[in-house]
Amino acid sequence: MIDTTKYKSWFRLDNSAKIFPEVSTERDTNTFRVQIALTEVVEPEILQLAAIGILERYPMFRVRLKHGVFWNFLDRNTKDFKIQEMGHEVNARMDTKDNNNFLFRILYRNNLIAIEMFHSLGDGGGVIMFLQSLIYEYLKLKGYPVTPDNIIKTKEGRPLEEEYEDANEKYYNKKNRKHVPEKKAYRIKGTMIPNNNTGMVSGILSTKAVLELSRSVGLTMTQYFSALMMYVIYNTQIRYRGHLKTNQAPVKIFVPVNLRKHFPSETLRNFSNFVKTELVMTDDDITLEELFVLVKEQFEKGMTKEELIRKMSENVAFEKNFFLKFMPYYIKKVALKIGYNMLGMKLNTMSLTNIGKIVFPESMEPYIKDVSAVVCAGSYNTVNCAILSYKDQLKITISRSILETNIEKEFFRHFTDLGLSVTIESNYVEEFV
Amino acid sequence: MKKCDKCNIEIETKQLYCPLCHQVLTGETDPSFIEVYPEYVSLTRKILPTVKKTLLLLSILAIVIVALINTLAFNGVYWSLIPIGSTLYFWLLLRVGVLSRRNMAFRIAFLTVLLIALLVLIDYRTVPENNGWSFDYLMPLLLFSCNLAIFFIILVRRLNYRDYFFYLLIVIVFSLIPLILVAFDVLTILWPSLVAFGLALFILLFLIVFFPKTIKEELQKRFHA
Ligand SMILES: [Zn+2]
Repeated sequence: MIDTTKYKSWFRLDNSAKIFPEVSTERDTNTFRVQIALTEVVEPEILQLAAIGILERYPMFRVRLKHGVFWNFLDRNTKDFKIQEMGHEVNARMDTKDNNNFLFRILYRNNLIAIEMFHSLGDGGGVIMFLQSLIYEYLKLKGYPVTPDNIIKTKEGRPLEEEYEDANEKYYNKKNRKHVPEKKAYRIKGTMIPNNNTGMVSGILSTKAVLELSRSVGLTMTQYFSALMMYVIYNTQIRYRGHLKTNQAPVKIFVPVNLRKHFPSETLRNFSNFVKTELVMTDDDITLEELFVLVKEQFEKGMTKEELIRKMSENVAFEKNFFLKFMPYYIKKVALKIGYNMLGMKLNTMSLTNIGKIVFPESMEPYIKDVSAVVCAGSYNTVNCAILSYKDQLKITISRSILETNIEKEFFRHFTDLGLSVTIESNYVEEFV
Repeated sequence: MKKCDKCNIEIETKQLYCPLCHQVLTGETDPSFIEVYPEYVSLTRKILPTVKKTLLLLSILAIVIVALINTLAFNGVYWSLIPIGSTLYFWLLLRVGVLSRRNMAFRIAFLTVLLIALLVLIDYRTVPENNGWSFDYLMPLLLFSCNLAIFFIILVRRLNYRDYFFYLLIVIVFSLIPLILVAFDVLTILWPSLVAFGLALFILLFLIVFFPKTIKEELQKRFHA
């Protein structure tokens, strides 16, 4: 039993978390998944114990969403947390009724353990730490000789105040918050998958091989993928059809940047920003090499400390706006929803997240087969991509809300054409009828 | 391992086609292999929606018929508002009071306010020379019971009592309304309003003395900007 007086009992939503509860729908759920495949079948009873145990270390996840007079907030959830068997749904809307009001769920199936989390609770950086702790606790309860090695936050540890902080606010700079207006992005068209289901195709490649490939053209892995995605979108959707009005919007790849790597912070909550690569792709002869140059330049411009702080401050300044701040909650909700549906959600063609390298203590490695991340695909961002690597396995997961798989096909064929071996996993959403 | 010769990829699955290009896969997969992701299970519809829909249809029919009779044979009184109000109350009682899994204190407070509205409606749609009882007696006494109920929930369910706090504070504020109405001569009988207010005041003092931190915190989180 948790002592309810020991930790902070409620939390303000961080700056980026505020928008999600107001704009989420059955299709645009703003939920994401990280998933681990163990080398053995998962025992649900033990996983349940591990989940209960580790929640004590992460009081900021033991919360529910409540309405205040001006803003939503996260309040301590005193109900029991229960793990669930994985169903066919991927990143479904966080049904708080079925989930005892928790904003994340832990799923299991065969040898898989997954955490799906609502974005208001935190970003990929926070959830990876949580997943690592969960797996550690699980393996320990199974009786395996695992050690935390200063990588894992174990349940014996105590949370730091810094883990709750809204780091966006910490680095907010009043003088550097210029608002840069943006245009609507190109939308990848296709046939929507019925019943808000999500298609999921992962490709497993060798980290080393892909790293060499991107270095050979002078790019980082993320830059290489962004350029390749733009090229694939161009080839499958726009090329030779540039005269169509809808194809004249810029293709924009939204790449989240984990700010913990740029500004010191221990926070488990949202602390990411983005860099965008964009181009109007109406010419008939764009080459991948041209995109490499463009993407490199746009990344370098977007990743300077000054620009990152500007984007952060732009968001915080919006929240600090007097009228918005003191607007009663229900009016604010409507205003945010309208703004988001008219423009906010239409600013990106695709989001491409590179979570990076996941490191486990050596003692845990024998039990872990692979790690993957899945972001949600929505009504405007119909195809999204999440990448992470574990040991020499680079796992690229493309999630989609449309039936067509041209983008996946061309994307992975690019690597097989270069002679790299690719192993595919799919949830075969085609069979979902 | 199976293979797609067109895409040059490998895949372990019992499905027959490539997820990228939909061409037939070659090679074999071990029969004991379990698919990585679960199959589609259509969410089975329970019997409840059919019952609910039938009831809904009957309710709508009843409302329309009653409203029609009332207008066609109008005798100077909108008596149909009583059965219509009761039907709506029944639905909200079912939806919010029974089927909803919302906070119990919220349900009690919501249904009390609704019941007061219904009784006021009945009061003013029946014998005209005898009305006012709903305001004078029922409103304060219902608020009294509501206050008492939520207060007891808080005392009994110590573990998550904080979840009910805000609703109790709201009902306490509501309990002031009858007294204000007395002050403005809308209500004529003082004692029920006084009883309701007395209890509210007692509970408020009780909370201030025994849960000062919770009250402060509850107000902070609900009103933070
Ligand atoms: Zn194929």
